[in-house]
Amino acid sequence: MKPSVAGIGVATGLGYGKQALVDGMVAPRLLFAPLERPGRQLPAGAGDEQSPAPFIGVEMPEPPALLPARVARLTGLVGRVAVAVLDEAWREAGLDALHPERIGLVIGGSNLQARELLLLHQAYAQRLAWLPPTHGYAAFDTDLCGLCSAQFPIRGFANTIGGASASGSLAVLHAAQAVRSGRVDACIALGALHDLSSFELQAMRALGALSPGPACRPFDRAHDGFLFGESCAALVLVRPDLGLRSYGSIAGAAHVASGNRGPDPALAGELRAIAAALQDAGLAAQQIDYVNTHGTGTPLGDDTEAAALSAAGLRHAHLNATKSLIGHGISAAGAVEIAAVLLQMQQGRLHPTAHLEDPAQPELNWVLAGQPRPHRIRHALKLSFGFGGIDTAIVLSSP
Amino acid sequence: MDRDSILAIVIEQIRTVVPELEGEAIGAGEAMADLGLDSVSRQEVLILSMERIGLNLPLVQLFGPKNLGELAQLLQTRLAR
Repeated sequence: MKPSVAGIGVATGLGYGKQALVDGMVAPRLLFAPLERPGRQLPAGAGDEQSPAPFIGVEMPEPPALLPARVARLTGLVGRVAVAVLDEAWREAGLDALHPERIGLVIGGSNLQARELLLLHQAYAQRLAWLPPTHGYAAFDTDLCGLCSAQFPIRGFANTIGGASASGSLAVLHAAQAVRSGRVDACIALGALHDLSSFELQAMRALGALSPGPACRPFDRAHDGFLFGESCAALVLVRPDLGLRSYGSIAGAAHVASGNRGPDPALAGELRAIAAALQDAGLAAQQIDYVNTHGTGTPLGDDTEAAALSAAGLRHAHLNATKSLIGHGISAAGAVEIAAVLLQMQQGRLHPTAHLEDPAQPELNWVLAGQPRPHRIRHALKLSFGFGGIDTAIVLSSP
Repeated sequence: MDRDSILAIVIEQIRTVVPELEGEAIGAGEAMADLGLDSVSRQEVLILSMERIGLNLPLVQLFGPKNLGELAQLLQTRLAR
């Protein structure tokens, strides 16, 4: 059984809702700017010539106010964005028609509220006795499970799953398994907003992973790292025999461990994930006509992924990198990019890869900057890789 | 600080924790449970109130009062100690 996607909710720096993302894929806008949220600034004097402040990236507009005031005051940005995105996906899929015990929720991401934790630690360091008791449960990522299942009738199960930058894809994989196994009839995969603080950003800058900006250039010879971009997406996966709408189906999925601890990619792991996902889908590489790359813009990551695509027999497939448009959402990225795949499938058009003008691997079939490409996707491959040696591949097929 | 000042502070914290009570009268005779506060919300009101009045007590010492007036009286007694 191939679960179909009956509803999509998404939020990026382009705004809330699918139409904002579709519009931004048709006509890319320059979103990258100095990050302004509290907790993402370097302390005065912390910058030096090698690591100049501030960090560059993309921040989202304020989410719509959907929560009761009493709940809203105890809900941080991660939760408010999740509820907005879930609301869009829930309504579109018409999940109110299903029995709550037949609906599950898998939230991709861990350590999601780093920025607000930093602010809390700063605010209460000298007055710990007055720490809000609600922090006792809100400090757990599972608070997001509680919030979502309290606001929406989800009574099958709800849990988080961590896969670093592959968390969103991992959530889709696990949601698909929950539907395929018959555990539930519908399972929402939510790639949560990863609310990074200046500490994570500075550490990734120190690792050499973060671009100094102002642009993120995946697969271009001038690529110099990734740029953070706030985002979040929810995908409603359902049994295909429920008669609900379908953007496309999860035809196959795979997740392997590459055995890598640090940030470096692993060609062998990426290749194994691609091969396993194709086998799960019952497709040959030649039948994949589009790949939404992990494509973060880090030179080693891009080069390794390009090598994997070549070695896997995917030189013919159209390729682009959604992070070039909206930044890297870390935990959210996989889910947001699967939403981007399905929306491009619906629109019959592939978005350009911003700033990809001089590809380091010109033998591959890139959708270059400024050149959106009409294309009817039949079988797409979505790749997501995460720190900790997490390599995932998901095959999506048109309805 | 007298009992009525402390009562006003406690009521202000209740309004912060339950914004939906805006416009409703809250008096000394009412209990937090009657106002729709669960146990976590009650703890939050107590901690916010103690910080405002400059009192640091184990929360277990604040069990017992049957309404807001009695709570304010207990806080006032402890503060005066």
